[in-house]
Amino acid sequence: MQKAGGQLVMLVAINGLLLVLGAAISGGSFLSLFNLQSMASQLPEIGLLAIGVMLAMCAGNGGIDLSGIALANLSGVLSAVIVSAFISSGESETAFSLAFIFGALAIGFLGGVINGLLISKLNITPILCTLGTQMAFMGLAIVVSGGKAVMVGSPALLSSIGNDMFLAVPISFLLFVIVAGLIAAVLKFTPYGLWLMLMGTNPKAAVYAGFPKTGVLVATYAISGLLSGLAGIIIAARNVNVKFDYGSSYLLIAILIAVMAGVKPEGGYGRVVCVVLSAVALQLMSSLLNFGGLSNFVRDFAWGLLLLTFLAVGRYDLTGFLFPGIRQTVSSVPVPHAPKQDN
Amino acid sequence: MKTLSKKFLAGTAVAAAMLTGSIGTLLAQDKPVIATVVKISGIPWFDRMSTGVQAFAEANPDVVASQSGPATADSAQQLQIIQDLVAKGVSALAVVPMDPAVLEGTLKRAMERGIVVVTHEADNQINTQADVEAFDNADYGAALNERLAKCMNNEGKWTTFVGSLGSRTHMQWVGAGEENAKKYSGMQLVDPNNESFDDANGTYEKAKEILRKHPDIKGFQTSAGNDVLGVGRAIDEAGLSGKICLVGTGLPNPSADLLETGAITAIGFWDPQKAGMAMNAVAKLLIEKKELTDGMDLGVEGYNKVAVKKGAGEGLLIIGNGMVLADKATYKDYLF
Repeated sequence: MQKAGGQLVMLVAINGLLLVLGAAISGGSFLSLFNLQSMASQLPEIGLLAIGVMLAMCAGNGGIDLSGIALANLSGVLSAVIVSAFISSGESETAFSLAFIFGALAIGFLGGVINGLLISKLNITPILCTLGTQMAFMGLAIVVSGGKAVMVGSPALLSSIGNDMFLAVPISFLLFVIVAGLIAAVLKFTPYGLWLMLMGTNPKAAVYAGFPKTGVLVATYAISGLLSGLAGIIIAARNVNVKFDYGSSYLLIAILIAVMAGVKPEGGYGRVVCVVLSAVALQLMSSLLNFGGLSNFVRDFAWGLLLLTFLAVGRYDLTGFLFPGIRQTVSSVPVPHAPKQDN
Repeated sequence: MKTLSKKFLAGTAVAAAMLTGSIGTLLAQDKPVIATVVKISGIPWFDRMSTGVQAFAEANPDVVASQSGPATADSAQQLQIIQDLVAKGVSALAVVPMDPAVLEGTLKRAMERGIVVVTHEADNQINTQADVEAFDNADYGAALNERLAKCMNNEGKWTTFVGSLGSRTHMQWVGAGEENAKKYSGMQLVDPNNESFDDANGTYEKAKEILRKHPDIKGFQTSAGNDVLGVGRAIDEAGLSGKICLVGTGLPNPSADLLETGAITAIGFWDPQKAGMAMNAVAKLLIEKKELTDGMDLGVEGYNKVAVKKGAGEGLLIIGNGMVLADKATYKDYLF
């Protein structure tokens, strides 16, 4: 609880600091509407994948989803190939867009279910299972696309997901926020959320308590897959083309975001709002460095520094030191307490 | 605990301050900014290109030119850099796309905001104002073959290597080579278009097979960057250095040893330094709203009389004559 609140405060503080820093060094242009929109539209792809990783981690027992970006690419590629065989994107724009979106989500969902079944039914360690499916998904995407980029084009509906604004907010970002909110609500208010966190805390106890273990695991990876499918749609909408090897660096960045958000790698704890803020922090920092024209190797260094900072926050009571007020309110909470679904 | 956090905080603060300082100096200028974005930073090819960008910046004090690129070879990372540069509001982008298809959407948005877009190594890029290519592929293939023919005294058996049969440029190069060899009746092409997959070891095995099958072979023309190394090693180990001719695409530094022993006759390439300068020169012309005309001089060696054609999209395709053929005597001028 104490750690949890601290992480959120720290993330908010870091985001604020980065915005101020950006404004200071760019003479305000970092905070221009256009740049804020540009950063917001870059965020959803990786943010969705990070939420998927968070869910898998929360499931405990070494849960992780390495297949996220591969599945996102597969969703985009396969859906584009199948749908363009029947509908031309130039002629019936809405039909194409809807079919593409539905296809990508279905493929993402299916891929996630496969992950979940392999892990829950065959008891394969998640890291090995998703490593395997990652390669399988990528391989399949190469086969169906022949290793080339597949053209999706910019039919009206897709193009507006990728490029248009609603009340000056990019639609892709709105989608991301809505989905994140939805998942946060599911974790907080449904039995599934409670099961997931408790199972992550103590898998053995969960089995003896009669939790539907298989169901929870399959649902978790299916949601993660669905998020990948959505990421695939956003990638296609923004880039016009989809390719099997897009975003190969996202794999580790998604995990970095989840860990920075205080998601426990051993399971049982994770907050969606922290993952979103952590993704925002990484985006701000990376854009800041690009604004400054610094080498991208500096960015890797800065990300590493940020991660270590957050690990330190978790380990030492840094927030209590920084914000004494919070420590007092937190320390008035009686300890020990049962693990709660904290979302 | 408290002292630890204090130390930690102090450390972070110092790091942040240093970072801010270094960024601050790089910002704030009113001159037009040309941002070169390469496929990946920190590899010899693009380090060499950055020397060209620097040279261009020094020669043109009225613009700011700089180069950046992702730390990992991922088109998504390159895309983000370009998006941030667009948001920052640079005047021109000079991009060497990791994957032209992935960048189409972003480059289109950049052009809609009035940013000049120039590309390199992407003659199929639709959303660009000008794509700069170092040379015409047919001319390059013919030039490699001409050098090979000269070494072979215009006669004997020869063969060709390509990266893969699907590699469009490689097939164009060897195709032009075959065309050129028809001029010499003594030259006999055997087992053409061996696939190397740009793997020096695989090429080495393949070249040994060919040497066994055709003991009287006189020449090799190769295409992918590592082919000269594989074939060169096979020739060297067979003790045939200097007796068999080998001409192909390669880079000076890795090929240096084999050039010295004579296993490689000559390597062909284009100089990324000059390509970087040419891209920036084109970007500057476009910023100044000057016209690009056929046969014009970009003021860069190898790009003194460029051919200007219609490109894949609305933009232009600019082809220089920037090929370099280097042998034992001249490779030291291009160490990268």
